[in-house]
Amino acid sequence: MSPNKFFKHEGPWSDANDPLMCSDTGDWRTKRPVVDKDTCIFCGFCAIYCPIQVMEMVENSHFTPDLAFCKGCGICAKECPKNAISMIAEGDF
Amino acid sequence: MTGKKKGKLTKVLDYLKHEDPFSKGVAFCPGCGLELLLRFIPQVLGNDIVITGTPSCSAPVLLGQNNQSWHTLSYFGTLMTGAAANATGLARYYRKAGIKNTVVCFNGDGTAADIGFGNLSGAAERNEPFIYICYDNEGYMNTGVQKSATTPYGASTTTTPFGTASKGKNLRRMNLALKMAMHKIPYAATATLSDLGDLAKKLLKAKEAKERGFAFLHVFAPCTTGWGYAPENTIEVCRRAVKTNYFPLWEAINGKIRMTKTVKKPKPVSTYTELMKKFAHLNEADLQILQDDVDYEYCMLGGLSTLEAECHIPESVED
Ligand SMILES: Cc1ncc(C[n+]2csc(CCOP(=O)(O)OP(=O)(O)O)c2C)c(N)n1
Ligand code: SF4
Ligand code: SF4
Ligand code: SF4
Repeated sequence: MSPNKFFKHEGPWSDANDPLMCSDTGDWRTKRPVVDKDTCIFCGFCAIYCPIQVMEMVENSHFTPDLAFCKGCGICAKECPKNAISMIAEGDF
Repeated sequence: MTGKKKGKLTKVLDYLKHEDPFSKGVAFCPGCGLELLLRFIPQVLGNDIVITGTPSCSAPVLLGQNNQSWHTLSYFGTLMTGAAANATGLARYYRKAGIKNTVVCFNGDGTAADIGFGNLSGAAERNEPFIYICYDNEGYMNTGVQKSATTPYGASTTTTPFGTASKGKNLRRMNLALKMAMHKIPYAATATLSDLGDLAKKLLKAKEAKERGFAFLHVFAPCTTGWGYAPENTIEVCRRAVKTNYFPLWEAINGKIRMTKTVKKPKPVSTYTELMKKFAHLNEADLQILQDDVDYEYCMLGGLSTLEAECHIPESVED
């Protein structure tokens, strides 16, 4: 069942039971966060502060961004206490 | 799994007990504080909340577009003039019908502090059972960065631009959270995104308090586009706002104020303003006016949070 228990339609015209709208926000990115697995201490700060909540846990070992939607804001890199994340220009990939 | 040295996972993750109900690709600017706040709230409070709110930067995402939605929460869109009155109707309906849920009236400062303040104050005075969250980006962002009552002294906005005839807003900001606490509601608090554990606790307290009536949260949520700072600095802006006492963290239960974080050696407000283009034109004298306002507000809060010694504070008059 949809978690939308209270209204059938969540706006006057939109229906939350249909597939959700989703933009390819990964395409907005000019810089890509790259995590150095060995420097990462698995503290999770990048994950809690990421506005899009796209930092995913990998094998209880480190975090990695979902690049399909990461907008490249750089908050994760800025907030990482170990500087384990580098922001690299998209043109370099 | 691997043998390398690990720190401890931040406790904030323990508060995120529920799914993020938003689709991954939604229409907020990169680095937007509002996006983090909106994804955080239902992960803490649960997905069975009903959100209601007004035209603003949050509306395009909360309301949906064309025939589709960006999330699976229940959302009820209202006019800026009557947000809290609409939330009152929703909350009363659910109470009468015996449906247990949480109504969250979620609005920008333009609605909360200016256009919809009258009915916000009225709902608080009547102690209506819902949570009102004001995300404060210090202006009308969705319509192109106009000043609001919470825009601080000196800030350049499109209606208070820096130029030959104007040096930014020439008035001091209004303290919305304090004003709401003075309604002596069951719960009022300030919070921001650098202190997510504190925000999570306050959300849960607000949910609990709304069983007794009105709960108000004032969340400082920086806007990278309107304030002119690099998107990666959103959390740093929040942190410095707290460390300079520009945005102190406190809560008030039935009007009784308690600081939830005290900063031992507050930094000058210039360490906060230097991050943003909207303050770039301020000279020392202007900065002093802003500093004096920050100091005055903090002093006032300090006085209010230590009143016990001087006067008897009634707990509450609920039955
Ligand atoms: C009564 C009324 N006046 C003006 C508008 C136009 N309007 C639409 S969005 C908006 C800005 C809202 O500002 P705020 O509530 O601070 O939210 P933000 O855009 O900052 O997220 C305005 C003024 C409106 N919708 N209704
Ligand atoms: S903030 Fe840095 S150290 Fe912490 S989990 Fe993320 S990448 Fe690893
Ligand atoms: S760059 Fe921004 S959007 Fe991308 S993972 Fe880091 S914090 Fe999230
Ligand atoms: S204009 Fe500001 S508040 Fe609006 S989506 Fe962009 S960053 Fe967020």
